[in-house]
Amino acid sequence: MSQLVIDALVLGSIYLLFCLGMSISWGTIDILNFAHGGIFMFSAFVASQIVSNVGLGLVTVCLISVVVGAALSAAIDVFAFQPILRRAKNQRTAELQILIGGIGIGTIPVAIVQFRTLSEPFGFLGSSYETSVYTLGGLRLTSTGLIVLGCALILTLAISFWLKNTSHGLALRAIGVDSETAELMGVKRRQLSLLTMAVSGGLAGLAGALLTYNLGAITAESGETLLIKAFAIIILGGVGSTGGAALGAMVLAFSEVLVLRYTGGGWVDAVGFGLILVVLLLRPQGIFGRKEVRRV
Amino acid sequence: MSDFYFSNIVLIQSTFTVLLLALSIQIQFRMGVFSFAGAAFYGMGSYGTAIFVLHYGFDAISATAAIVAICAVTGYLLSLILQRLTGLYLAMATVAFVMIVTVVAHNGGELTGGSVGLFGVLTTPEISVPHLAVVCAVVVAAMIFSERGSMGRRIEAVREDPELASAMGINVARYRRMSFVISGVLGALGGALNILMMTAIAPENIGFPLIVLALTIIIVGGSRSWLGVLIGALIFTWLPVMLEQVGTYQSIVYGIIVAIAAIFMPGGITGVVTDLYRRRAARRDSAALEDEAEAERRADAADDEAAAELGAELAGTGAHSAPTGESR
Repeated sequence: MSQLVIDALVLGSIYLLFCLGMSISWGTIDILNFAHGGIFMFSAFVASQIVSNVGLGLVTVCLISVVVGAALSAAIDVFAFQPILRRAKNQRTAELQILIGGIGIGTIPVAIVQFRTLSEPFGFLGSSYETSVYTLGGLRLTSTGLIVLGCALILTLAISFWLKNTSHGLALRAIGVDSETAELMGVKRRQLSLLTMAVSGGLAGLAGALLTYNLGAITAESGETLLIKAFAIIILGGVGSTGGAALGAMVLAFSEVLVLRYTGGGWVDAVGFGLILVVLLLRPQGIFGRKEVRRV
Repeated sequence: MSDFYFSNIVLIQSTFTVLLLALSIQIQFRMGVFSFAGAAFYGMGSYGTAIFVLHYGFDAISATAAIVAICAVTGYLLSLILQRLTGLYLAMATVAFVMIVTVVAHNGGELTGGSVGLFGVLTTPEISVPHLAVVCAVVVAAMIFSERGSMGRRIEAVREDPELASAMGINVARYRRMSFVISGVLGALGGALNILMMTAIAPENIGFPLIVLALTIIIVGGSRSWLGVLIGALIFTWLPVMLEQVGTYQSIVYGIIVAIAAIFMPGGITGVVTDLYRRRAARRDSAALEDEAEAERRADAADDEAAAELGAELAGTGAHSAPTGESR
């Protein structure tokens, strides 16, 4: 049973790392980035290509992945999301166009990687990092699992601090509440949006590298399922709430581990999808979310 | 002609079924309901027909009728459940519904054939392209009807400004519920006809890829009218054949096309064409206006001259200072 808890914690941390980036961009600058899964997978792929030529350690691989993710995400913001926001008549159409544009852009990296890997899984084969396994009283925990847990904990706290206690964070939250008024108060929306998207992409990159280390290998399609699960986590916790995302990730991970334990593999994915429906119906603003105020 | 027909029969069939799939999602977009439920109904239509034919010995027509009725009812129930949601939240709830249908297809055991799916759906009477064409013609005729006259205006009002629409006495909630029912009918029809043609279905043929395909078609063709959907369906069924050298890069090209269309031409191809037409009409109008203004200016100038002459005359007679045209 305690083994179950450890497994769920590690899985939840992976989910958390993945959805933190999505959560901050959606909660602050109103961009639900559906290319996040593509960025996540593509950064890990670039890192795996580099690592297959040069043997690198865990930290370097993660750094490469973070940089690739941040660059990709910033580029998507500049070339896709900002033009959409500039052109859209109102917020509702902008929201939908961003979703559709994101889905379109997200298929590009997936298609490229499918083409390059022939849809085979890929991992960090040349990496000098070796997983060690700790056992304590019959419980198993890998060093990678430990790193994942640590990263998730530290980054959640750091981002929560960034959003709550810095002037950047204040400006970002102001944009989230009312972007026009925030701009009138001197908030530089464009720059902050770029920064947020870069941070979000960097987190996706880190999650990609760590998940690849944790599982050994991932496939081109790995981002897609995670994307919908991340959506479930974010609405469960409440859009824009870092603590909510952490709780949501753990709830989803624990439910999945339990379902896996008691029913066998097939129904695991239904947990996330079912969760989306249930949460949206019962408490659309999430557990910690603020009541959504529709601006017309 | 008949050579072309027989060598491309699969493509012709899928043009029709893909058209039905895309219409089942577009009809909801047109009513301002951002839902992907059509993709789920398409999956249910395929699986339902296969199950009715294989496990219960239905013929093609009664199997299709049964699953269309089931999907219409499911659509109605779904609309009741989801009626509080709008925008992104509604979109994601329907994506979740699509994914749940896929998970059920994966885990349905013997009923759905698990990850292998169902195959060998052969029926009498055999359904062929003429049947498809008739069904699509009826559907398109209904779409044309719904885009014209007072019906068309009501739907536009429901999409563009629900508050205004309900102030005008339109029951917006009812239109939204109806959109789910119609989506259920169209999606199920598309799915049913698809399996009756192709005779096999597997979980990887339904779900998220269907959403992406339908979105691609709607966004590139244009979401406002059935014509846009038809153009999109034609492009994305035939483009892969036309561009055989693209081959493996196909999905990369698709992604780029969708992204560009979403960013730069939110109205799709039909939107761009309509805009061009309107802009040209506007230019014609403004050119006409300019001509008028020019004529007026000339008339004014003539008045001024006359006034100046009059002024000069007056000055000549030693009256007040001459009025000039400048004051005008």
